[in-house]
Amino acid sequence: MSIETLNRTARPPRVRIARLFGYLLLIVISAASAYPLLWMLITSVRPRNTVFGGGFLPDEFTFDAYRQAWTDLNFPRHFMITLVITVITVLGVVALATLAGYAFAHLEFRGKQFIYVTLLSTIMLPVTAIVIPLFLELDALGLLGGQTGLVLVYIGTSVPFAMFLMRVFFETLPHELVQAARVDGAGEFAIFARVMLPLAAPGAATVVIFQFMNTWNEFLFAQTFLRTPEQLPLQPVLYAAVGQHSTDWPLLCASLTMSILPIIMVYMRMQRRFVAGMTLGAVKS
Amino acid sequence: MAVAAPRAPRRGGAPPRGGRGRSAALAGYLFVLPTVALFSVFVAYPFLRSMYLSLTRWSGFGTPDFVGLENFDNLVSDPVFWDALTTTLVFTLACTVLQTAVPLLLAVLLNRGWRLGVVFRTVIFVPAVVSFVVTGSLWQMVYDPNFGQLNQFLEGIGLGSLAQPWLADTTTVLPALVVVSLWQAAGLYMLIYLAGLQGIDPVLYEAARIDGATAYQRFRHVTVPMLRRVTAVVVLLNVVNGFKTFDVIYVMTGGGPNRASEVLGTYLYGLAFGSSAGAVPSFGYATAISMVVFVLCLLATLVQVRVNRKARDVH
Repeated sequence: MSIETLNRTARPPRVRIARLFGYLLLIVISAASAYPLLWMLITSVRPRNTVFGGGFLPDEFTFDAYRQAWTDLNFPRHFMITLVITVITVLGVVALATLAGYAFAHLEFRGKQFIYVTLLSTIMLPVTAIVIPLFLELDALGLLGGQTGLVLVYIGTSVPFAMFLMRVFFETLPHELVQAARVDGAGEFAIFARVMLPLAAPGAATVVIFQFMNTWNEFLFAQTFLRTPEQLPLQPVLYAAVGQHSTDWPLLCASLTMSILPIIMVYMRMQRRFVAGMTLGAVKS
Repeated sequence: MAVAAPRAPRRGGAPPRGGRGRSAALAGYLFVLPTVALFSVFVAYPFLRSMYLSLTRWSGFGTPDFVGLENFDNLVSDPVFWDALTTTLVFTLACTVLQTAVPLLLAVLLNRGWRLGVVFRTVIFVPAVVSFVVTGSLWQMVYDPNFGQLNQFLEGIGLGSLAQPWLADTTTVLPALVVVSLWQAAGLYMLIYLAGLQGIDPVLYEAARIDGATAYQRFRHVTVPMLRRVTAVVVLLNVVNGFKTFDVIYVMTGGGPNRASEVLGTYLYGLAFGSSAGAVPSFGYATAISMVVFVLCLLATLVQVRVNRKARDVH
Protein backbone atom coordinates (compact mmCIF):
# COMPACT_ATOMS: atom_id res chain seq x y z
CA MET A 1 0.00 0.00 0.00
CA SER A 2 2.68 2.43 1.08
CA ILE A 3 4.80 1.53 -1.92
CA GLU A 4 1.90 2.25 -4.18
CA THR A 5 1.53 5.76 -2.82
CA LEU A 6 5.25 6.45 -2.99
CA ASN A 7 5.32 5.64 -6.67
CA ARG A 8 2.20 7.52 -7.56
CA THR A 9 4.17 10.42 -9.03
CA ALA A 10 6.04 8.39 -11.63
CA ARG A 11 3.64 5.77 -12.91
CA PRO A 12 4.40 4.25 -16.29
CA PRO A 13 1.41 3.87 -18.65
CA ARG A 14 1.58 0.08 -18.41
CA VAL A 15 0.75 0.29 -14.71
CA ARG A 16 -2.10 2.68 -15.47
CA ILE A 17 -3.65 0.20 -17.86
CA ALA A 18 -3.29 -2.62 -15.34
CA ARG A 19 -5.02 -0.41 -12.81
CA LEU A 20 -7.82 0.33 -15.20
CA PHE A 21 -8.34 -3.38 -15.79
CA GLY A 22 -8.29 -3.98 -12.05
CA TYR A 23 -10.99 -1.39 -11.47
CA LEU A 24 -13.04 -2.73 -14.35
CA LEU A 25 -12.91 -6.24 -12.93
CA LEU A 26 -13.91 -5.05 -9.47
CA ILE A 27 -16.83 -3.10 -10.92
CA VAL A 28 -18.05 -6.07 -12.96
CA ILE A 29 -17.84 -8.47 -10.02
CA SER A 30 -19.45 -6.01 -7.60
CA ALA A 31 -22.27 -5.50 -10.09
CA ALA A 32 -22.73 -9.27 -10.42
CA SER A 33 -22.79 -9.57 -6.62
CA ALA A 34 -25.33 -6.82 -6.10
CA TYR A 35 -27.53 -7.27 -9.15
CA PRO A 36 -29.65 -10.28 -8.07
CA LEU A 37 -30.40 -8.61 -4.73
CA LEU A 38 -31.24 -5.27 -6.33
CA TRP A 39 -33.44 -7.02 -8.86
CA MET A 40 -35.20 -8.80 -5.99
CA LEU A 41 -35.85 -5.49 -4.26
CA ILE A 42 -37.21 -3.87 -7.41
CA THR A 43 -39.36 -6.85 -8.37
CA SER A 44 -40.92 -6.84 -4.91
CA VAL A 45 -42.47 -3.41 -5.55
CA ARG A 46 -43.45 -4.01 -9.17
CA PRO A 47 -47.11 -4.11 -10.15
CA ARG A 48 -47.86 -7.70 -11.12
CA ASN A 49 -48.68 -7.00 -14.75
CA THR A 50 -45.25 -5.48 -15.43
CA VAL A 51 -43.14 -8.32 -14.00
CA PHE A 52 -42.63 -10.23 -17.22
CA GLY A 53 -41.26 -7.77 -19.71
CA GLY A 54 -40.78 -4.07 -19.08
CA GLY A 55 -37.66 -2.16 -18.12
CA PHE A 56 -35.40 -2.70 -15.13
CA LEU A 57 -37.06 0.13 -13.22
CA PRO A 58 -40.86 -0.03 -13.11
CA ASP A 59 -42.93 3.06 -13.98
CA GLU A 60 -44.94 2.77 -10.80
CA PHE A 61 -44.42 1.17 -7.42
CA THR A 62 -46.79 -0.85 -5.27
CA PHE A 63 -46.53 -2.54 -1.91
CA ASP A 64 -49.28 -5.03 -2.76
CA ALA A 65 -46.87 -7.94 -2.66
CA TYR A 66 -45.75 -7.03 0.84
CA ARG A 67 -49.34 -6.76 1.97
CA GLN A 68 -50.08 -10.16 0.46
CA ALA A 69 -47.03 -11.79 2.06
CA TRP A 70 -48.04 -10.22 5.35
CA THR A 71 -51.54 -11.75 5.29
CA ASP A 72 -51.55 -14.76 2.91
CA LEU A 73 -48.21 -16.20 3.98
CA ASN A 74 -48.77 -15.23 7.60
CA PHE A 75 -45.39 -13.56 7.53
CA PRO A 76 -45.40 -11.83 10.95
CA ARG A 77 -46.06 -15.13 12.70
CA HIS A 78 -43.17 -16.96 11.03
CA PHE A 79 -40.93 -13.95 11.45
CA MET A 80 -41.61 -13.96 15.21
CA ILE A 81 -41.06 -17.72 15.44
CA THR A 82 -37.70 -17.32 13.72
CA LEU A 83 -36.79 -14.46 16.01
CA VAL A 84 -37.68 -16.37 19.18
CA ILE A 85 -35.86 -19.54 18.08
CA THR A 86 -32.83 -17.50 17.06
CA VAL A 87 -32.66 -15.41 20.24
CA ILE A 88 -32.98 -18.42 22.56
CA THR A 89 -30.35 -20.32 20.57
CA VAL A 90 -27.96 -17.36 20.61
CA LEU A 91 -28.37 -16.89 24.38
CA GLY A 92 -27.81 -20.58 25.04
CA VAL A 93 -24.80 -20.81 22.76
CA VAL A 94 -23.14 -17.70 24.18
CA ALA A 95 -23.71 -18.76 27.79
CA LEU A 96 -22.26 -22.23 27.27
CA ALA A 97 -19.49 -21.14 24.92
CA THR A 98 -18.15 -18.39 27.19
CA LEU A 99 -18.06 -20.79 30.17
CA ALA A 100 -16.34 -23.56 28.24
CA GLY A 101 -14.06 -21.22 26.27
CA TYR A 102 -12.89 -19.62 29.50
CA ALA A 103 -12.26 -23.00 31.12
CA PHE A 104 -10.15 -24.17 28.16
CA ALA A 105 -8.16 -20.92 28.15
CA HIS A 106 -7.53 -20.30 31.86
CA LEU A 107 -8.29 -23.36 33.99
CA GLU A 108 -6.20 -26.51 34.32
CA PHE A 109 -7.89 -29.87 34.62
CA ARG A 110 -7.06 -33.41 33.66
CA GLY A 111 -8.20 -34.49 30.20
CA LYS A 112 -8.62 -30.90 29.04
CA GLN A 113 -6.83 -31.36 25.73
CA PHE A 114 -8.73 -34.54 24.93
CA ILE A 115 -12.12 -32.97 25.70
CA TYR A 116 -11.23 -29.90 23.68
CA VAL A 117 -10.17 -31.80 20.55
CA THR A 118 -13.21 -34.07 20.79
CA LEU A 119 -15.57 -31.10 20.97
CA LEU A 120 -13.80 -29.34 18.13
CA SER A 121 -14.07 -32.36 15.83
CA THR A 122 -17.73 -31.34 15.38
CA ILE A 123 -16.57 -28.66 13.00
CA MET A 124 -15.63 -31.08 10.24
CA LEU A 125 -18.62 -33.37 10.78
CA PRO A 126 -21.05 -33.02 7.86
CA VAL A 127 -24.57 -32.16 9.00
CA THR A 128 -25.99 -34.77 6.65
CA ALA A 129 -24.06 -37.41 8.64
CA ILE A 130 -26.09 -36.75 11.80
CA VAL A 131 -29.44 -35.50 10.53
CA ILE A 132 -30.96 -39.00 10.32
CA PRO A 133 -30.05 -40.19 13.85
CA LEU A 134 -31.00 -36.76 15.23
CA PHE A 135 -34.42 -37.15 13.65
CA LEU A 136 -34.80 -40.59 15.25
CA GLU A 137 -33.47 -39.35 18.59
CA LEU A 138 -35.88 -36.41 18.75
CA ASP A 139 -38.68 -38.81 17.85
CA ALA A 140 -37.68 -41.14 20.72
CA LEU A 141 -37.50 -38.20 23.14
CA GLY A 142 -40.92 -36.96 22.05
CA LEU A 143 -39.35 -33.72 20.83
CA LEU A 144 -39.89 -34.25 17.11
CA GLY A 145 -42.14 -31.62 15.56
CA GLY A 146 -41.56 -29.15 18.39
CA GLN A 147 -39.46 -26.03 18.55
CA THR A 148 -37.82 -27.07 21.85
CA GLY A 149 -36.10 -30.00 20.18
CA LEU A 150 -34.98 -27.82 17.30
CA VAL A 151 -33.46 -25.24 19.64
CA LEU A 152 -31.65 -27.94 21.64
CA VAL A 153 -30.20 -29.36 18.43
CA TYR A 154 -29.13 -25.88 17.33
CA ILE A 155 -27.37 -25.21 20.62
CA GLY A 156 -25.73 -28.63 20.80
CA THR A 157 -24.34 -28.52 17.28
CA SER A 158 -23.29 -24.83 17.42
CA VAL A 159 -21.60 -24.62 20.80
CA PRO A 160 -18.32 -26.34 19.82
CA PHE A 161 -17.37 -23.70 17.22
CA ALA A 162 -18.52 -20.81 19.43
CA MET A 163 -16.51 -22.32 22.28
CA PHE A 164 -13.46 -22.35 19.99
CA LEU A 165 -13.92 -18.65 19.15
CA MET A 166 -14.34 -17.75 22.83
CA ARG A 167 -11.22 -19.68 23.82
CA VAL A 168 -9.24 -17.68 21.29
CA PHE A 169 -10.58 -14.43 22.78
CA PHE A 170 -10.03 -15.48 26.39
CA GLU A 171 -6.47 -16.50 25.58
CA THR A 172 -5.65 -12.93 24.60
CA LEU A 173 -6.42 -11.86 28.19
CA PRO A 174 -3.49 -12.08 30.64
CA HIS A 175 -3.63 -15.04 33.00
CA GLU A 176 -2.25 -12.79 35.76
CA LEU A 177 -5.75 -11.30 36.15
CA VAL A 178 -7.06 -14.70 37.19
CA GLN A 179 -4.18 -15.26 39.59
CA ALA A 180 -4.55 -11.82 41.18
CA ALA A 181 -8.28 -12.35 41.70
CA ARG A 182 -7.53 -15.73 43.30
CA VAL A 183 -5.07 -14.11 45.69
CA ASP A 184 -7.86 -11.69 46.61
CA GLY A 185 -9.94 -14.69 47.52
CA ALA A 186 -12.50 -14.56 44.70
CA GLY A 187 -14.29 -17.78 43.82
CA GLU A 188 -13.73 -19.38 40.39
CA PHE A 189 -17.16 -18.46 39.04
CA ALA A 190 -16.85 -14.89 40.31
CA ILE A 191 -13.46 -14.60 38.57
CA PHE A 192 -15.06 -15.74 35.34
CA ALA A 193 -18.22 -13.65 35.60
CA ARG A 194 -16.90 -10.42 37.15
CA VAL A 195 -13.28 -10.20 36.04
CA MET A 196 -12.82 -12.02 32.76
CA LEU A 197 -16.22 -12.02 31.03
CA PRO A 198 -16.53 -8.21 30.86
CA LEU A 199 -13.13 -8.07 29.17
CA ALA A 200 -14.18 -10.70 26.65
CA ALA A 201 -17.37 -8.83 25.71
CA PRO A 202 -16.11 -7.92 22.21
CA GLY A 203 -15.44 -11.60 21.56
CA ALA A 204 -18.87 -12.56 22.85
CA ALA A 205 -20.41 -9.93 20.56
CA THR A 206 -18.72 -11.59 17.59
CA VAL A 207 -20.15 -14.95 18.63
CA VAL A 208 -23.61 -13.40 19.03
CA ILE A 209 -23.60 -11.97 15.52
CA PHE A 210 -22.15 -15.07 13.90
CA GLN A 211 -24.62 -17.33 15.68
CA PHE A 212 -27.56 -15.03 14.96
CA MET A 213 -26.86 -15.23 11.25
CA ASN A 214 -26.35 -19.00 11.23
CA THR A 215 -29.51 -19.79 13.17
CA TRP A 216 -31.63 -17.28 11.28
CA ASN A 217 -30.52 -18.83 7.99
CA GLU A 218 -30.64 -22.51 9.02
CA PHE A 219 -32.78 -24.67 6.75
CA LEU A 220 -32.03 -28.40 6.86
CA PHE A 221 -32.82 -29.08 10.55
CA ALA A 222 -35.89 -26.84 10.57
CA GLN A 223 -37.21 -28.48 7.41
CA THR A 224 -36.61 -31.99 8.76
CA PHE A 225 -37.60 -31.74 12.42
CA LEU A 226 -40.72 -29.57 12.22
CA ARG A 227 -43.86 -30.73 10.49
CA THR A 228 -46.87 -28.51 11.17
CA PRO A 229 -46.83 -25.46 8.88
CA GLU A 230 -47.86 -23.06 11.67
CA GLN A 231 -44.71 -23.86 13.61
CA LEU A 232 -42.17 -23.30 10.87
CA PRO A 233 -39.52 -20.60 10.95
CA LEU A 234 -38.92 -18.52 7.83
CA GLN A 235 -36.49 -20.61 5.80
CA PRO A 236 -38.76 -23.64 5.32
CA VAL A 237 -41.72 -21.28 4.82
CA LEU A 238 -39.87 -19.51 2.02
CA TYR A 239 -38.92 -22.86 0.52
CA ALA A 240 -42.55 -23.96 0.51
CA ALA A 241 -43.68 -20.60 -0.88
CA VAL A 242 -41.34 -20.96 -3.85
CA GLY A 243 -42.99 -24.28 -4.61
CA GLN A 244 -46.54 -22.96 -4.27
CA HIS A 245 -46.27 -19.52 -5.80
CA SER A 246 -43.49 -20.16 -8.28
CA THR A 247 -44.87 -17.66 -10.79
CA ASP A 248 -45.83 -14.90 -8.36
CA TRP A 249 -42.47 -13.17 -8.39
CA PRO A 250 -43.44 -9.98 -6.57
CA LEU A 251 -44.82 -12.05 -3.69
CA LEU A 252 -41.71 -14.22 -3.55
CA CYS A 253 -39.36 -11.26 -3.80
CA ALA A 254 -41.22 -9.36 -1.10
CA SER A 255 -41.00 -12.39 1.22
CA LEU A 256 -37.32 -12.95 0.49
CA THR A 257 -36.57 -9.26 1.03
CA MET A 258 -38.33 -9.15 4.37
CA SER A 259 -36.61 -12.34 5.49
CA ILE A 260 -33.09 -11.00 4.93
CA LEU A 261 -33.77 -7.55 6.33
CA PRO A 262 -32.61 -8.30 9.91
CA ILE A 263 -29.39 -9.91 8.66
CA ILE A 264 -28.57 -7.08 6.26
CA MET A 265 -29.25 -4.50 8.97
CA VAL A 266 -26.95 -6.27 11.42
CA TYR A 267 -24.32 -6.63 8.68
CA MET A 268 -24.40 -2.97 7.71
CA ARG A 269 -24.20 -1.74 11.30
CA MET A 270 -21.62 -4.17 12.62
CA GLN A 271 -19.62 -5.08 9.58
CA ARG A 272 -16.31 -5.41 11.37
CA ARG A 273 -17.52 -7.87 13.99
CA PHE A 274 -19.46 -9.77 11.37
CA VAL A 275 -16.38 -10.18 9.24
CA ALA A 276 -14.27 -11.07 12.28
CA GLY A 277 -16.69 -13.84 13.23
CA MET A 278 -16.72 -15.35 9.77
CA THR A 279 -13.00 -15.20 9.09
CA LEU A 280 -11.46 -15.75 12.51
CA GLY A 281 -11.95 -19.47 12.54
CA ALA A 282 -10.20 -19.84 9.23
CA VAL A 283 -7.33 -17.45 9.74
CA LYS A 284 -6.48 -18.57 13.24
CA SER A 285 -4.85 -21.82 12.13
CA MET B 1 -15.49 -24.02 9.47
CA ALA B 2 -12.35 -23.63 11.48
CA VAL B 3 -9.47 -25.81 10.62
CA ALA B 4 -7.15 -24.62 13.30
CA ALA B 5 -4.79 -27.30 14.42
CA PRO B 6 -5.90 -27.51 18.03
CA ARG B 7 -3.12 -26.92 20.49
CA ALA B 8 -3.30 -27.12 24.21
CA PRO B 9 -3.13 -23.82 26.01
CA ARG B 10 -0.32 -24.52 28.42
CA ARG B 11 -0.62 -21.81 30.96
CA GLY B 12 1.11 -22.37 34.23
CA GLY B 13 2.14 -25.93 33.30
CA ALA B 14 0.73 -28.86 35.22
CA PRO B 15 -2.28 -28.34 37.47
CA PRO B 16 -1.02 -27.12 40.82
CA ARG B 17 -1.66 -29.50 43.69
CA GLY B 18 -3.51 -28.50 46.80
CA GLY B 19 -6.77 -26.68 47.57
CA ARG B 20 -6.66 -23.87 45.00
CA GLY B 21 -5.60 -26.10 42.13
CA ARG B 22 -8.27 -28.60 42.96
CA SER B 23 -11.05 -26.01 43.09
CA ALA B 24 -9.87 -24.56 39.78
CA ALA B 25 -9.94 -28.04 38.27
CA LEU B 26 -13.41 -28.63 39.67
CA ALA B 27 -14.56 -25.30 38.21
CA GLY B 28 -13.04 -26.35 34.89
CA TYR B 29 -15.11 -29.53 34.80
CA LEU B 30 -18.26 -27.69 35.86
CA PHE B 31 -17.73 -25.00 33.21
CA VAL B 32 -17.36 -27.46 30.35
CA LEU B 33 -20.02 -29.86 31.63
CA PRO B 34 -23.08 -28.29 29.95
CA THR B 35 -21.24 -28.08 26.63
CA VAL B 36 -20.03 -31.66 26.88
CA ALA B 37 -23.52 -32.84 27.85
CA LEU B 38 -25.21 -31.21 24.85
CA PHE B 39 -22.37 -32.31 22.58
CA SER B 40 -22.79 -35.90 23.76
CA VAL B 41 -26.55 -35.93 23.23
CA PHE B 42 -26.77 -34.00 19.95
CA VAL B 43 -23.45 -34.67 18.20
CA ALA B 44 -21.49 -37.64 19.59
CA TYR B 45 -24.35 -40.05 20.17
CA PRO B 46 -26.08 -39.34 16.84
CA PHE B 47 -22.78 -39.81 15.06
CA LEU B 48 -22.08 -43.16 16.73
CA ARG B 49 -25.66 -44.19 16.01
CA SER B 50 -25.10 -43.27 12.36
CA MET B 51 -22.12 -45.59 12.26
CA TYR B 52 -24.23 -48.40 13.68
CA LEU B 53 -27.27 -47.70 11.49
CA SER B 54 -25.07 -47.85 8.40
CA LEU B 55 -24.66 -51.55 9.22
CA THR B 56 -28.39 -52.20 9.43
CA ARG B 57 -31.47 -52.39 7.28
CA TRP B 58 -34.27 -50.27 8.70
CA SER B 59 -37.35 -48.45 7.49
CA GLY B 60 -38.01 -46.71 10.80
CA PHE B 61 -40.48 -49.28 12.18
CA GLY B 62 -39.55 -51.93 14.72
CA THR B 63 -35.88 -52.52 15.35
CA PRO B 64 -33.03 -52.21 12.85
CA ASP B 65 -31.81 -55.50 11.32
CA PHE B 66 -28.06 -55.86 11.60
CA VAL B 67 -26.77 -56.78 8.15
CA GLY B 68 -23.03 -56.11 8.45
CA LEU B 69 -21.53 -54.51 5.38
CA GLU B 70 -24.48 -55.26 3.09
CA ASN B 71 -25.30 -51.56 2.60
CA PHE B 72 -21.77 -50.85 1.47
CA ASP B 73 -21.84 -53.87 -0.83
CA ASN B 74 -25.01 -52.45 -2.36
CA LEU B 75 -23.41 -49.03 -2.70
CA VAL B 76 -20.66 -50.45 -4.88
CA SER B 77 -23.21 -51.76 -7.36
CA ASP B 78 -25.58 -48.77 -7.17
CA PRO B 79 -25.18 -46.66 -10.32
CA VAL B 80 -27.07 -43.75 -8.73
CA PHE B 81 -24.54 -43.69 -5.92
CA TRP B 82 -21.61 -43.61 -8.34
CA ASP B 83 -23.25 -40.85 -10.35
CA ALA B 84 -23.93 -38.86 -7.19
CA LEU B 85 -20.35 -39.39 -6.04
CA THR B 86 -18.99 -38.27 -9.41
CA THR B 87 -21.27 -35.23 -9.42
CA THR B 88 -20.17 -34.37 -5.88
CA LEU B 89 -16.50 -34.61 -6.85
CA VAL B 90 -16.93 -32.61 -10.06
CA PHE B 91 -18.96 -29.94 -8.26
CA THR B 92 -16.37 -29.80 -5.46
CA LEU B 93 -13.46 -29.54 -7.89
CA ALA B 94 -15.08 -26.76 -9.94
CA CYS B 95 -16.09 -24.81 -6.82
CA THR B 96 -12.68 -25.21 -5.23
CA VAL B 97 -10.77 -23.98 -8.28
CA LEU B 98 -13.07 -20.99 -8.87
CA GLN B 99 -13.57 -20.14 -5.22
CA THR B 100 -9.83 -20.09 -4.64
CA ALA B 101 -8.71 -18.23 -7.77
CA VAL B 102 -11.39 -15.53 -7.94
CA PRO B 103 -11.22 -14.54 -4.26
CA LEU B 104 -7.40 -14.42 -4.43
CA LEU B 105 -7.56 -12.10 -7.43
CA LEU B 106 -10.14 -9.90 -5.73
CA ALA B 107 -8.13 -9.75 -2.52
CA VAL B 108 -4.93 -8.78 -4.35
CA LEU B 109 -6.80 -5.98 -6.14
CA LEU B 110 -8.48 -4.76 -2.98
CA ASN B 111 -5.25 -4.85 -1.00
CA ARG B 112 -3.79 -2.04 -3.10
CA GLY B 113 -5.61 0.59 -1.10
CA TRP B 114 -7.45 1.91 -4.12
CA ARG B 115 -10.25 4.37 -3.81
CA LEU B 116 -13.68 2.80 -3.16
CA GLY B 117 -12.00 -0.38 -1.95
CA VAL B 118 -14.27 -0.56 1.09
CA VAL B 119 -17.36 -0.21 -1.09
CA PHE B 120 -16.27 -3.04 -3.38
CA ARG B 121 -15.42 -5.22 -0.39
CA THR B 122 -18.76 -4.58 1.30
CA VAL B 123 -20.80 -5.25 -1.83
CA ILE B 124 -18.94 -8.42 -2.81
CA PHE B 125 -19.36 -9.86 0.68
CA VAL B 126 -23.12 -9.23 1.00
CA PRO B 127 -24.24 -12.50 -0.68
CA ALA B 128 -22.36 -14.42 2.03
CA VAL B 129 -24.84 -13.32 4.70
CA VAL B 130 -27.90 -14.36 2.69
CA SER B 131 -29.38 -17.79 3.46
CA PHE B 132 -29.15 -20.75 1.08
CA VAL B 133 -32.92 -20.75 0.64
CA VAL B 134 -32.99 -17.08 -0.37
CA THR B 135 -29.97 -17.56 -2.61
CA GLY B 136 -31.48 -20.61 -4.26
CA SER B 137 -34.92 -19.06 -4.76
CA LEU B 138 -33.45 -15.88 -6.15
CA TRP B 139 -31.23 -17.66 -8.67
CA GLN B 140 -34.08 -19.91 -9.73
CA MET B 141 -35.78 -16.74 -10.93
CA VAL B 142 -32.56 -15.48 -12.53
CA TYR B 143 -32.26 -18.76 -14.47
CA ASP B 144 -35.95 -18.89 -15.43
CA PRO B 145 -36.09 -19.94 -19.10
CA ASN B 146 -38.74 -17.42 -20.18
CA PHE B 147 -38.47 -14.39 -17.98
CA GLY B 148 -35.21 -14.89 -16.12
CA GLN B 149 -32.71 -12.07 -16.06
CA LEU B 150 -29.93 -14.19 -17.54
CA ASN B 151 -31.76 -15.11 -20.73
CA GLN B 152 -33.14 -11.56 -21.05
CA PHE B 153 -29.62 -10.23 -20.71
CA LEU B 154 -28.32 -12.61 -23.39
CA GLU B 155 -31.13 -11.55 -25.73
CA GLY B 156 -30.46 -7.93 -24.91
CA ILE B 157 -26.85 -8.14 -26.07
CA GLY B 158 -27.75 -10.11 -29.18
CA LEU B 159 -26.74 -13.53 -27.87
CA GLY B 160 -30.30 -14.81 -27.69
CA SER B 161 -29.20 -18.05 -29.29
CA LEU B 162 -27.33 -18.89 -26.07
CA ALA B 163 -30.47 -18.57 -23.97
CA GLN B 164 -31.36 -21.89 -22.33
CA PRO B 165 -33.51 -23.49 -19.68
CA TRP B 166 -30.41 -23.49 -17.47
CA LEU B 167 -31.70 -25.58 -14.58
CA ALA B 168 -33.80 -27.92 -16.71
CA ASP B 169 -31.00 -29.06 -19.00
CA THR B 170 -28.76 -31.90 -17.83
CA THR B 171 -25.65 -30.31 -19.35
CA THR B 172 -26.05 -26.78 -17.98
CA VAL B 173 -27.48 -27.48 -14.54
CA LEU B 174 -24.18 -28.19 -12.80
CA PRO B 175 -22.28 -25.18 -14.16
CA ALA B 176 -25.31 -23.03 -13.25
CA LEU B 177 -25.13 -24.30 -9.66
CA VAL B 178 -21.38 -23.71 -9.51
CA VAL B 179 -21.98 -20.07 -10.47
CA VAL B 180 -24.50 -19.72 -7.63
CA SER B 181 -22.00 -21.21 -5.22
CA LEU B 182 -19.31 -18.81 -6.41
CA TRP B 183 -21.69 -15.86 -6.07
CA GLN B 184 -22.30 -16.72 -2.46
CA ALA B 185 -18.85 -17.88 -1.38
CA ALA B 186 -16.47 -15.47 -3.14
CA GLY B 187 -16.83 -12.71 -0.53
CA LEU B 188 -15.91 -14.86 2.45
CA TYR B 189 -12.79 -16.36 0.88
CA MET B 190 -11.81 -12.91 -0.39
CA LEU B 191 -11.87 -11.65 3.20
CA ILE B 192 -9.78 -14.59 4.39
CA TYR B 193 -7.22 -13.82 1.69
CA LEU B 194 -7.27 -10.12 2.57
CA ALA B 195 -6.49 -10.95 6.18
CA GLY B 196 -3.61 -13.10 4.92
CA LEU B 197 -2.29 -10.40 2.58
CA GLN B 198 -2.21 -7.88 5.39
CA GLY B 199 0.18 -10.17 7.21
CA ILE B 200 2.82 -10.02 4.47
CA ASP B 201 5.78 -7.77 5.24
CA PRO B 202 5.91 -4.89 2.67
CA VAL B 203 9.71 -5.09 2.81
CA LEU B 204 9.50 -8.28 0.73
CA TYR B 205 7.79 -6.38 -2.09
CA GLU B 206 10.30 -3.54 -1.79
CA ALA B 207 13.17 -6.01 -2.09
CA ALA B 208 11.59 -7.70 -5.10
CA ARG B 209 11.05 -4.31 -6.72
CA ILE B 210 14.67 -3.34 -6.21
CA ASP B 211 15.69 -6.62 -7.82
CA GLY B 212 13.63 -5.54 -10.83
CA ALA B 213 10.75 -8.02 -10.45
CA THR B 214 7.68 -7.29 -12.55
CA ALA B 215 4.22 -7.11 -11.01
CA TYR B 216 3.51 -10.66 -12.13
CA GLN B 217 6.82 -11.91 -10.75
CA ARG B 218 6.14 -10.21 -7.43
CA PHE B 219 2.75 -11.91 -7.31
CA ARG B 220 4.18 -15.26 -8.33
CA HIS B 221 7.27 -15.24 -6.10
CA VAL B 222 6.22 -13.18 -3.09
CA THR B 223 2.43 -13.16 -2.72
CA VAL B 224 1.68 -16.77 -3.65
CA PRO B 225 4.37 -18.40 -1.47
CA MET B 226 3.60 -16.14 1.47
CA LEU B 227 -0.08 -17.05 1.24
CA ARG B 228 0.55 -20.81 1.13
CA ARG B 229 -0.94 -21.44 4.58
CA VAL B 230 -3.99 -19.27 3.89
CA THR B 231 -4.50 -21.00 0.55
CA ALA B 232 -4.36 -24.37 2.28
CA VAL B 233 -7.16 -23.22 4.60
CA VAL B 234 -9.26 -21.82 1.74
CA VAL B 235 -8.85 -25.01 -0.29
CA LEU B 236 -9.76 -27.22 2.65
CA LEU B 237 -12.87 -25.19 3.49
CA ASN B 238 -13.89 -25.33 -0.16
CA VAL B 239 -13.33 -29.06 -0.45
CA VAL B 240 -15.18 -29.90 2.77
CA ASN B 241 -18.06 -27.56 1.92
CA GLY B 242 -18.21 -29.11 -1.53
CA PHE B 243 -18.45 -32.65 -0.12
CA LYS B 244 -21.10 -31.51 2.34
CA THR B 245 -23.09 -29.58 -0.21
CA PHE B 246 -26.85 -29.89 0.20
CA ASP B 247 -28.98 -26.80 0.72
CA VAL B 248 -28.62 -24.83 -2.50
CA ILE B 249 -28.98 -27.90 -4.70
CA TYR B 250 -31.93 -29.20 -2.68
CA VAL B 251 -33.66 -25.83 -2.98
CA MET B 252 -32.89 -25.15 -6.65
CA THR B 253 -33.16 -28.51 -8.40
CA GLY B 254 -33.79 -31.19 -5.80
CA GLY B 255 -31.07 -33.15 -7.60
CA GLY B 256 -32.72 -32.96 -11.02
CA PRO B 257 -33.29 -32.84 -13.89
CA ASN B 258 -33.05 -36.61 -14.24
CA ARG B 259 -30.58 -36.71 -11.30
CA ALA B 260 -28.07 -34.60 -13.24
CA SER B 261 -27.36 -32.51 -10.13
CA GLU B 262 -27.83 -35.27 -7.58
CA VAL B 263 -25.01 -35.11 -5.02
CA LEU B 264 -24.43 -37.44 -2.08
CA GLY B 265 -26.19 -35.05 0.31
CA THR B 266 -29.40 -34.81 -1.72
CA TYR B 267 -29.38 -38.53 -2.55
CA LEU B 268 -29.14 -39.66 1.07
CA TYR B 269 -31.67 -37.07 2.25
CA GLY B 270 -34.15 -38.26 -0.35
CA LEU B 271 -33.67 -41.89 0.69
CA ALA B 272 -34.35 -41.06 4.34
CA PHE B 273 -36.97 -38.32 4.16
CA GLY B 274 -38.27 -38.25 0.59
CA SER B 275 -41.24 -40.44 1.46
CA SER B 276 -43.49 -38.13 -0.55
CA ALA B 277 -42.33 -40.17 -3.53
CA GLY B 278 -44.12 -43.10 -1.94
CA ALA B 279 -40.95 -45.00 -1.12
CA VAL B 280 -40.27 -46.58 2.26
CA PRO B 281 -37.48 -44.69 4.07
CA SER B 282 -34.21 -46.61 4.00
CA PHE B 283 -32.39 -45.21 7.02
CA GLY B 284 -29.68 -47.87 6.95
CA TYR B 285 -28.72 -47.31 3.34
CA ALA B 286 -28.93 -43.51 3.71
CA THR B 287 -26.65 -43.49 6.75
CA ALA B 288 -24.17 -45.68 4.84
CA ILE B 289 -23.98 -42.90 2.23
CA SER B 290 -23.61 -40.33 5.00
CA MET B 291 -20.60 -42.30 6.25
CA VAL B 292 -19.06 -41.94 2.79
CA VAL B 293 -19.54 -38.16 3.03
CA PHE B 294 -17.98 -38.22 6.48
CA VAL B 295 -14.95 -40.22 5.31
CA LEU B 296 -14.43 -37.79 2.41
CA CYS B 297 -14.42 -34.82 4.82
CA LEU B 298 -12.14 -36.68 7.21
CA LEU B 299 -9.66 -37.48 4.43
CA ALA B 300 -9.62 -33.84 3.29
CA THR B 301 -8.92 -32.69 6.84
CA LEU B 302 -6.14 -35.23 7.34
CA VAL B 303 -4.49 -34.19 4.08
CA GLN B 304 -4.67 -30.57 5.20
CA VAL B 305 -3.10 -31.31 8.59
CA ARG B 306 -0.32 -33.21 6.85
CA VAL B 307 0.36 -30.45 4.29
CA ASN B 308 0.39 -27.86 7.06
CA ARG B 309 2.86 -29.88 9.10
CA LYS B 310 5.13 -30.23 6.08
CA ALA B 311 4.94 -26.50 5.37
CA ARG B 312 5.85 -25.80 8.98
CA ASP B 313 8.83 -28.16 8.82
CA VAL B 314 10.14 -26.42 5.69
CA HIS B 315 10.10 -22.98 7.28
